[in-house]
This record gives sequence, C-alpha cells and structure tokens, in this order.
Amino acid sequence: MTVTKYILALSAATALSSAAMAADAIKVGLSGPYTGGSSSMGVSMRDGAKLAVDEINKAGGVNGAVIQLVERDDEAKNEVGVQVAQELINKEKVVATLGFINTGVAQAGERFYQEAEIPVLNNVATGSILTRQWPNEKQNFVFRNAANDTIQSAMIADEAITRQGFKKPAILSDSTNYGQLGKDDMMAALKKLNVSPVAIEKFNIGDTDMTAQVLKAKEANADVVLTYAIGPELAQIANAMAKLGWKVPLVGSWTLSMASYIDTAGANGDGAIMPETFIEMPTTPKRKAFIEAYHKAYGGDRMPSPVSAAQGYDSVYLLAAAIRQAKSTDGRKLLAALENLNEKVEGVVTTYDHPFSATDHEAISPNIPVMGLVKNGRVVPAHPEDLQGDKALRVKPKG
Amino acid sequence: MQILAQLIVSGISVGMVYGVIAFGYQLTFSTSKTLNFGQGEALMLGALVGLTTINFLIGHAIATLPAFLLMLPVVLAFGLLQGAVVEFFGVRQAVKAKSDAGWIMATIALGVVFKNMAENIWGHDALRFPSPLPEAALSFGGVRVQPMEIAIVVGALLLMVAVEVFNRKSIYGKAVVATANDRDAAGLMGIDTRLVIMFSYALSSMTAAFAGVLVAPVTLTGATMGAVLGLKAFAVAIIGGLSSGVGVVVGGLILGVVENLTGFYISTGYKDVPGLLLLLLVLSLKPAGLFGAAAIKKV
Repeated sequence: MTVTKYILALSAATALSSAAMAADAIKVGLSGPYTGGSSSMGVSMRDGAKLAVDEINKAGGVNGAVIQLVERDDEAKNEVGVQVAQELINKEKVVATLGFINTGVAQAGERFYQEAEIPVLNNVATGSILTRQWPNEKQNFVFRNAANDTIQSAMIADEAITRQGFKKPAILSDSTNYGQLGKDDMMAALKKLNVSPVAIEKFNIGDTDMTAQVLKAKEANADVVLTYAIGPELAQIANAMAKLGWKVPLVGSWTLSMASYIDTAGANGDGAIMPETFIEMPTTPKRKAFIEAYHKAYGGDRMPSPVSAAQGYDSVYLLAAAIRQAKSTDGRKLLAALENLNEKVEGVVTTYDHPFSATDHEAISPNIPVMGLVKNGRVVPAHPEDLQGDKALRVKPKG
Repeated sequence: MQILAQLIVSGISVGMVYGVIAFGYQLTFSTSKTLNFGQGEALMLGALVGLTTINFLIGHAIATLPAFLLMLPVVLAFGLLQGAVVEFFGVRQAVKAKSDAGWIMATIALGVVFKNMAENIWGHDALRFPSPLPEAALSFGGVRVQPMEIAIVVGALLLMVAVEVFNRKSIYGKAVVATANDRDAAGLMGIDTRLVIMFSYALSSMTAAFAGVLVAPVTLTGATMGAVLGLKAFAVAIIGGLSSGVGVVVGGLILGVVENLTGFYISTGYKDVPGLLLLLLVLSLKPAGLFGAAAIKKV
C-alpha cells in the first residue's frame, strides 16, 4: 500500500465517521457577543446554554439525537451578526438559533432566519420590537424568553413612582438604540402614571465625564434617577453622583446588574435597583440545582450575568421540548410546536406552561421579574417578600 | 454661579487630559511632521500596564499612594519603549521613503494591533483602577472636586513643563529642536535625526501613558478607553495648533470646558457638537491652529 493510498483511505474513513456523527446531532446555533463590552452577558448566556445541552445529551438527547451547539461570536456588532446568521443558516444548516444579547444585532440578524423559516429563541436582547418585527407576515419565527423593555420600563416606573413614592424622576440614557428606545418606553410608562420627568439627559458610550448630565438632573431637583444604559457608563453616573455629593436612588433597566457596573462603581454603586428575571439565590429547588451545577462547571461563586445564564439555560430546554413535540427539526413544524407547547418545561426563571401562542411570542410576562438591588457587590432581592413562599416561582398567567 | 464654576472645574480636568494627549501629537509632529494615530492606544496600554503594576504592588502590602508613585516610573519606561516600537515599525520606513500616507496607515494599524493585544491580555471588560488619593470630593465654596481631578491637572502640567525644559535645556533637547526646525540641516550638522525622531515618538507615547494612569482612577480602564480620548485629543491638537505646546493645552481646556457648558446649558445630546464646530471654524479661519505658526511650504 503506497502512502498516498493510505492517506486516501484514512481520510475517507474519517469523512465517513464524521458524517455519521453529524447525522445524529441536531445542530443549534448560538449567537452572542463572547468578546467586547457585552461579553459578560454573552459568555454567561453561552455557559448557561452549554450546561443545559450537556444535561440533555447525558440524559439521551432529544428524539435519540444529541444536540450540538454551533457557537459564533457576533461581537455585539450588527454587521458581524448578519455574517453569523448567514453562516449558521447556509453553511452550518442549524435547525434553530438561540442567543442575541444586543437588540441592534438581533434586528440585523433575525430577518435572515425569518426568510429561511428557522426559529430563533431570543434569550437576552430586550428591545420591545424584536418579537413583532414583521406584523404583515403570516408567521413570525422569533420567540423570546427575556423580559422586554416594555415590561422593564413599566416595572422601573412602577417601582420608583408607585412603590417608593418618588415624584420627580430624571431620565439618563445612552445615545445607542438600546438607551433611546428604552427611554421612550420609560416616558410612556411614566405618562401612564401621570408623572413627567424633570430632566431627560443622554450621553455617549465611552464618555468619561458625566458632570453635566448629573448636574442637570440635580438642578432640576430630581428625587430619583432612572437609567437606560450599559455597565461602564452606569458606573460613571454613580461615580459622578458621589462626586457631586448628591444621593438619590438609581433605578434602571436590568443592565444595572452587569458586573461592569457593580465592580467598577464599587461602593458608589450600592443601592441601585433593577428588574431581574433571575437572582442568584436558591429560592426554588431548580434554581438551587442550576446554581450548583453552574459553579461546578465554571468555578467562581458569582455568575458574571445570572440573568443571561438562566435565560440561556432555559432557552435550550424550551427548544428541546419543541423538537420532541414536533418529532422533527423542520422549521415550520418547530414553529407550530413552540406556539402550542404541550409539555410543561421546568426552567430556572419560571415553569413554562404554554409559554407562546400564535399571537404571543413572549415567554416572560410582567409578573415574572422581581426588582433586584445591588448590595455589597451582589444582586439581592430589593423586596425579599417578592420571592418568599409560593411567590418564589412566578408563572405566566394563562390566556 | 456655583454651577458655572462646577462645570468649568470639571471641564478643566477633562480638558487637561485632552491637552496632555494632544501634547504627544505635537511632540512627534514637530520633529518628523508625522503623528501617531494610535496615541489613544498608547494611553490605554499605559493605563493597563499601570493597573497590573499597581495591583502587583498592592498585592505586596504596599499602600495605594506609594504603589501609585512606584508604578509611575514603570509606566513611563513602558511608554518610552512603546513609542520607540511605533516609530521603528510604523514610521521609520515611511519617513525614509518620504511617503505621505504610509505612516498614517501604519500607526492606525499598530493602534488596532495594540488594542487587540490588550483585549487578549486584559480581557474585554472595563476594569476599576485603584485611586491613590481619597475618592471623597473636596468642597470649595460648594464646588466639588475629587482630589484625583486636581492631581490630573497638576500632574499633566508638571509633565509638560518637564518635557519642555528637557527640550530647551539639555543637549538632546537641542537636537530635538534642531531637527524640528530643519531636519536636513540638522542631519548635516551631525545630528542623528533618525534617533531624534524615534526619541520624540518615545516621549510622545510616554506622555500618553502618563495621561492614561492619571485619568484611569476617575474613569475606568479597558482596551477601548483610548479611542474616544485619542480622537478628541486629535481635535484639540488641530484647534490649538500642532506646532505649539501651549496651544494644545489651551485647546484642551477650551474643549473640555465648552463640552460641559454645552451639555448643561444647551443639551447633553449636543455635548460633542461645539467641539466639532470649533474644529471646523479653526480649520477654515486659521488652519495652523489658534496658536500655530502658519506653515510656509516652499516649492
């Protein structure tokens, strides 16, 4: 046998065996920022998803096949998100994709899945529009298991105005889509409560001095600051408030629980309040098991972004249930299964009982998240009674 | 009145940072008519090297303030080295070939390389830099200033004065000035102009690295911290004039203060606009900058 023949035979053999493996595996895309400023959310989401896939595969997979995650880094950049979507659809031929942390990337990438009729389980990005991007199309392939900005902004307004009795909110948001759309949602939520903000300020990503913004809110006699921005700039706000010797509560979107806020604002960051679908506390047996498994697999004693990890984990189980029910990986059949999921899925965030319908692609309802509070570098419940007893497990109301 | 004072004071400390980075642009421009477009990255690397050093020292039970002072020589030396590397790989060939654009692309490319390197070494998240001075703000008649903000202004001024004195008094400095005046003539007089240019790059990155550790305790440290600062400092260098050390400082202060005033009195959404307007205005009315000597190009 010549060397050439030997190599040919060998490569043929490996090609055969890898083809055999691929036939058994269900390929699922995982798109998120694993590098860059949003990476703490992306990496936690990925870790949560991998944990769920490992558990499912160890228990025998789905319909006799194992799930294989195809991870791609979208770098939180819209154009990279588009490339990733095209690669996952056309080259990797995934049956569904999980992920999307940034609303802009989701908007840019998800329309390719819509065209290819492949379901997306959007597990972190919060832009309200994401689950209704194509109102005129018959079918919508985008689902979400994260608390959207409409829910979050209403919770923020409710917490600040109704629950804590503040009357003069100032809104500070960044100039990205996330910040500006969130600001609009928050204005609408405040309007429903007949309160108008005394100051509306914005800033750019990378701004190092927030004196002007914070001073304006202070001079307008704001009694609470509502925020829609991401970690590092939120830390700058907390630091500028401390510098100006101005102490009013900070209530804002869930990004106030980002490690880049908590760690960089240090003591100045304590007391910030935000809506959370999951707080890293063993309030249910499922959550206890999840927290233990996470730290066993990845070490540490604090998840970089517990919300992303939990939602990443749950999204895998939701998809697995849909594949089981559809007995197929065909996009349309998966869509039908997701819209009428008969199996009760016990997740970390909640127990999903018919989480989606043909008209409602949001698994998280306004009653599910609770307010979290930054205390000594960790997020704890702002109102411990919210998670006590039978309130620990909050499920979406029927209908 | 108190608010106005507060805005101006905060603007001065930010402006001083812009100024000291722009001062670095001015240093290399005067010797070689080239700039390091990776100046923001030089600042970022300086801050991150400083962060690692200071954390190492604090880990060895040294208090934050002495650790910060001990760290400074390390950061300054690193800056010198980093600048020399930029000159050697990015600028030397372009200057030798009298290429007009080669150094622009090369310094931008090196900046990208440094940023990616930093992301690989220090990760992607913004990191907290231990503050050598108390973080509680001091109050002067209601105007609140963080001790570190005062340190920024004092430190930046001291460094720029030191570099200027060095350039004017020492024999090396004389060579720098001679090269700045007329590179060919300086070469004929036996000055190794290549070395002088390399040295000016080293000094330039050193000032940027120093600015990095000055600004880090009041902001955050991370691979992307240099981008915005480097760009703003570039505008400052144009406004103040690339040939004037005083000009860039004044330009920095103008930009820092105007940004804050606009943010408060007009709208925080327009905070960056007056800086750009000023830039356009200066470019159209006095292209050499507010303090720059008009360049006469003989053909």
